Amino acid sequence: MESPVNIHSQPYAPPSQDELAWLGTRPIPAAPFYDPAWYADEIAAIFKRDWLQIGHVCELAEPDSFIRRELEFARVSLLIMRGADGEIRAFHNACTHRGTQLVTDVSEGRARKLSCKYHFWTFANDGQLLSAPDFERFNLKKSDCALRQVHCDVIAGLIFVNLRKGPVQGLRDWLGALAPQLENLPLAAATHFTEYVYDIDANWKLTYDNFQENYHLRFIHTRTGAMGIGPDNPFGYPEEYGFFGPHRTQTIWMNPQPSFAPFQQLGLERAAQALIERGMSPHGTIKYLALFPNVFLYGSAQQLFNHIVFPIGPEKSRGVIRMYWSGADASPSERFAREFSAMNMRDVHSEDRAVILAGQKGLASGALEHINYQTQESLCRHLFNEVEARVLAWRSEQSGAGA
Amino acid sequence: MSGVLPPAFAKLEPFVAHWAADSTAERAAARDMADAEACAAFLTAGLPYAAKALDYLDTKGFAGFDVADERLMRLMLGLAHAGLATEILGPDEAKHALDRPAMKITRAPADAAPAA
Repeated sequence: MESPVNIHSQPYAPPSQDELAWLGTRPIPAAPFYDPAWYADEIAAIFKRDWLQIGHVCELAEPDSFIRRELEFARVSLLIMRGADGEIRAFHNACTHRGTQLVTDVSEGRARKLSCKYHFWTFANDGQLLSAPDFERFNLKKSDCALRQVHCDVIAGLIFVNLRKGPVQGLRDWLGALAPQLENLPLAAATHFTEYVYDIDANWKLTYDNFQENYHLRFIHTRTGAMGIGPDNPFGYPEEYGFFGPHRTQTIWMNPQPSFAPFQQLGLERAAQALIERGMSPHGTIKYLALFPNVFLYGSAQQLFNHIVFPIGPEKSRGVIRMYWSGADASPSERFAREFSAMNMRDVHSEDRAVILAGQKGLASGALEHINYQTQESLCRHLFNEVEARVLAWRSEQSGAGA
Repeated sequence: MSGVLPPAFAKLEPFVAHWAADSTAERAAARDMADAEACAAFLTAGLPYAAKALDYLDTKGFAGFDVADERLMRLMLGLAHAGLATEILGPDEAKHALDRPAMKITRAPADAAPAA
């Protein structure tokens, strides 16, 4: 069986040093990977200001459905709700009476209205205050007591929020040239997903960086990543890199003549068969999209996975990994192929998590003043450059405001 | 024959109790609890039947499943886990089993839409 994805001409040649020289070659300071003050400024300068993906529309398929998302880095709980009008809106999960969280015990559900259990203020799922007991004793208008809304938009089925107060750059403008690339993926048609979640005692950038370089592939994924390396590309480096403002991409290289074990071949064949039956191609170029600051999308019909790395603390992060599927399992073979594929991916990511943990311990010891990225770790360098620019600009703003 | 599985697959019945678990997370846990020999024994026994079992189940379709078919479906899903352990991870499986539970499975389509 040939490789189910990217078929390439040989011999492979990695992206050149020259085309990536603009990113620089300086050593990268190590402290931003564990320093609490730097982390706090990242949260303020980036995570409370930029668009963040927090879900998919298939979680809000029905009118009056809602999901709750806890953004620990900002100490924010959000309710993302689809109103009767079909509109998806995001609100702070906080009653406008005295701040009590409206939803605490479920992470998803359906409700046309939500009541605060403390004093029974009741809100419609468009955020408006519907009723409040003895409301005439407040010197307030109901229209001034709506739930506090958060910027929310959807592209390619992916739900994004932006915590910044006041006007923000539109999501499509923020994504730039990647917006149409996202829309070309079969993401918006996804109706189901497999999800696994991991917590890790590691800075979010260290966690994220692991997933945007292939240098480690042959050492950490010796057995699970065999399809991604070959004699002319022993490190599994990508075909090419792309840079789009703060975002970046790589075009994945795959061994054109991989060898499969018998059961693995069965899993791949059933997956390919299921895609063909859905009118989708199991072949095609895979672009790996990295949306600033913390999202990955691996785009193929066969492995449409989405990985979000949330910061939790200076040395703690959480990864939420989903493989999206179009339609419920149509056949037993498709169910089998999906389980095989998702668990295969989980095995790979499990190997990543273990080595990231060891990296954080080394960095947090303070032994190193700098870390080093090679040319084929340019996506890591690009992320750090973008993060650093924002943190330094934020610090400059703050010192200017205090002057 | 006990009828635990459809008759053509009766030879796989000794593996049902451990591997034909109800959810993806439970099947992953079954893999974590099995040693390398147990995974290999299941794959060795199951591989000659796997394609035939999936073809059989496809022909019946979810709506036509009886209890034995449903059990066979779950057993084939369990075989996906054992197959990864034996064919792909091989000698690395024991170490993997220590790290893997940190990747907590929270949702899977096979759980959301149980077969009829």
